[in-house]
Amino acid sequence: MRDAVTTDAPAVEVRGLAKHYGPVRALDGVDVTIQAGEYFVLLGPSGGGKTTLLRTIGGFHRPTAGDVLLHGRDVSDLPPEKRPTGMVFQQYALFPHMTVERNVGYGLSLQKRPKAEISDRVSAMLDQVGLTGLGGRKPHELSGGQQQRVQLARALVLDRDILLLDEPLAALDAQLRKDMCLELKHLQEKVGVTFIHVTHNQEEAMTVANRIALIADGKLIEQGTARQIYEAPRRRFTASFIGENNLIDGTLSATGDGTATLDIGSDRITVPSDESASSGHDATISIRSELVAIGPAGGEGLAATFVESVYLGLTTSHRARLADGTEIVSRVVSAPTPPAEPGAPVTVSWPQDSARLHID
Amino acid sequence: MNRLARGAFWVPLIFMAVFFALPLLLTAVWSVFERTMFWMEPGFTLFSYENFFTSARLWNFLASMWHSLISVLICLVLGFPIAVFVRRRIPQVAQHRVVLLFILPFMVSEIIRIFALRPVLQRNGLVNHTLLHLGVISEPITSILYTPTGVIIGEVLSFLPFIVFSGFLAMEAVPKHVFEVCEDLGASTVRTYRDVILPLAAPGIFAGSVFIFVNGIGVALLPNILGGPGAVNAGLIATQAIVALDFPLAMAVSAIMISTLLALLYIGHRLFDLTHVLEPAKR
Amino acid sequence: MNDYANPWSYRLQWAYMLLVVATLMTPVFYVMYVSFNENGFGAAEYVFTTEWYGVVFGDKLMMNALGWTVSLAICTTLITVPFAVLSAKFYKNARNKLPVLFLLMLPLFVAPDIFGSALLVYFKNLNFAFQWLGDQLGTGMFDAWFRLGFMTALIGLVIYTIPYAFIVVLITMGRYREEQTEAARSCGASSWRAFWDIEFPQIRPGVASSCAFTVILCFNEYTRTSLLKGGFDTFTTVLVSQMLNTGMSEQSYAMSAMVSYVAIALIGGIILWTLVRSDKLGREARAKAEPVAA
Repeated sequence: MRDAVTTDAPAVEVRGLAKHYGPVRALDGVDVTIQAGEYFVLLGPSGGGKTTLLRTIGGFHRPTAGDVLLHGRDVSDLPPEKRPTGMVFQQYALFPHMTVERNVGYGLSLQKRPKAEISDRVSAMLDQVGLTGLGGRKPHELSGGQQQRVQLARALVLDRDILLLDEPLAALDAQLRKDMCLELKHLQEKVGVTFIHVTHNQEEAMTVANRIALIADGKLIEQGTARQIYEAPRRRFTASFIGENNLIDGTLSATGDGTATLDIGSDRITVPSDESASSGHDATISIRSELVAIGPAGGEGLAATFVESVYLGLTTSHRARLADGTEIVSRVVSAPTPPAEPGAPVTVSWPQDSARLHID
Repeated sequence: MNRLARGAFWVPLIFMAVFFALPLLLTAVWSVFERTMFWMEPGFTLFSYENFFTSARLWNFLASMWHSLISVLICLVLGFPIAVFVRRRIPQVAQHRVVLLFILPFMVSEIIRIFALRPVLQRNGLVNHTLLHLGVISEPITSILYTPTGVIIGEVLSFLPFIVFSGFLAMEAVPKHVFEVCEDLGASTVRTYRDVILPLAAPGIFAGSVFIFVNGIGVALLPNILGGPGAVNAGLIATQAIVALDFPLAMAVSAIMISTLLALLYIGHRLFDLTHVLEPAKR
Repeated sequence: MNDYANPWSYRLQWAYMLLVVATLMTPVFYVMYVSFNENGFGAAEYVFTTEWYGVVFGDKLMMNALGWTVSLAICTTLITVPFAVLSAKFYKNARNKLPVLFLLMLPLFVAPDIFGSALLVYFKNLNFAFQWLGDQLGTGMFDAWFRLGFMTALIGLVIYTIPYAFIVVLITMGRYREEQTEAARSCGASSWRAFWDIEFPQIRPGVASSCAFTVILCFNEYTRTSLLKGGFDTFTTVLVSQMLNTGMSEQSYAMSAMVSYVAIALIGGIILWTLVRSDKLGREARAKAEPVAA
């Protein structure tokens, strides 16, 4: 369907991008490359700089340093209307004084296309996003989900190569958000446009993304597929932000042979690792909560005190505390009886190869 | 083109700087010039200030400040509760329409409203006529017009709408749920005002009060029309000096007024940050 | 208001508010009432007449003054309102808002006579300076630039009206969401197009109100105009000099009433228009809300 761009250059290439507001560094030396046709998600805590990155790609912010290349072309000096990007905003971005049709057709009418062509393309696009027959409504007569579809249609009808979505689902309620996520993904697969989607919701990110970049404190922390980031995070921050991980701090005592040994209090733990950091270095291990087991005291593993069980329906979280106060969560499919009484000594353990070492 | 467009944004500011800020600042320079027969010439003399501070003008000026202060207080007491009431009890959508009600008297010329007080308060005017008719009084009241009381009434009636507006703008800084919290905690009306409303609305109240105060001492027509023979304020001193072609004196009075104003605004800004008055607009 | 509040206190507060508005308007209405009395103010007998208005309209001087007032009002509006829109946009984007706010709002706080005197002396000085400059260059083209007259009165009025127009535009702009401009720009609109197509239609009520306010304020203004006008007369300067010199004549009642009509008609128009408009919008929204919910 899409034939405008035939170069091999990536859709978006960001090099050493920085944006400072006085002393505040909203972005600090970010490099990222996004291939054409990818569904790329910028995920991170709010205030971390992901929206700034997206808006700098879109041309709404001028970078303090660094370059933005779209399809190999440096666009750092171009205003938003001259960039091959379309944008979908959080909310309120529909033109309230125009009907849905005129909202969607606005960009085409700016290009001075013939009336008939505009109306054909607008109604085709409305069909595509599932708004058939609502073209005559004003934005305030639509539900939140419908409004976001109009925004999508308005951006997609222009046949831009790159679509930027700034928290497009943040204002929707949970169920609607889930449905819209899948729809967005299918829509992107159908039209083949590069989507760059900003969100702070990891479930949303994992549903839609081909690749995810984790952004916090103005820096790109880590990027990879949803599975890589969830199952094999390399950085401590990633492990703390994605999924439900147990983080245990300790000191490296030995590395080599694809393993590392870590001192945690008086215990010594071996984890798989390719790192070659010297011993004595601070390090952290992370283990996903569903891989941790809590067993009777005296078994193989770390000694801990049982705290409580929290029933969550399908699963139950058992919480225990290590001697140094670190809290450990074990998440299991709900069983009728807890593993121990609160206050009782227990042992926490995990398969050796499921622990990941983070040296930040 | 782009640079031209960006330059357009500066035009109003440059205009205001050249034709507003600059003349106001220059009053201080002109106030020390030497007076000539019809104009003035560059020089340095404090004669105009001496003329102002050592004559009856000073006492008239201080008296007009006192009257102005009374007007500010009356306006606050009469007007501010209206702003609170509108914000607190009237549904959000209707609030601006209710405030529009006060635009009506505000937008009828100040001069007309000040002049109209003469027939209203006169010996055979509306008030006396009505009161006599109702039998409340047997003799017409003649001690209002052409006295300080008349000036104060004129000031209150002229500036009351302004305190409603600035109060309302200030009240937009007070979230509506605050009132519910106060009711929930069982705070009395007095305590709600003292502990919650006044501190939050302070910038707006201050801006409104300063407006009334400086206009009370600056609008020459007020004492000219409603005051008695001795009633004079800074505005009247300045215009009388202009008529008498004593330009340095007029400039000295202006300079004094402007420094008073700037000092008041500076204090207010240090205390409350006056940009908050427009906070709702910034949102 | 909660459901347990005393309805009488609510009604009493409403009554108080209306009483205040009525008190503020009483002198104005009284003037109008007197202006229709053939026997004028204080007469024992009231005979309705429009004679005094006829006198005003028949007076060459008055009509002349009215003409000047109208042209001043139009010119002021043409300058003030675009200035207000530009300044409001500037203010919204300004990093350091205080100087902008200070320059634009301070005219409210400088008393009319003080500001009028300062500007008068400023213009006189400017005029001398420009004449001197003209003499040096051997040209007379600068002579009339700042001679007291229409131009100087216009400048005075623009400065007087800017704070009001600025506030009104700023408040309407405050409800506008900047995302819409960004959306328009990502649709390919230049910042200028985005302003005209998207933002301006939404702030139009504020711009219209500020036009109305500016016109009214120009009709009302006396002090600054009288100091800066030079040769000609406006409606209010004629009115005030009449009242100061000969006291309130029947004709001055009619003139005062006329100035008030302009204000009341314009403001009343705005109030009615906003009422009708918000009513209509509300009804439309309700009518179309049903299928959305379904």
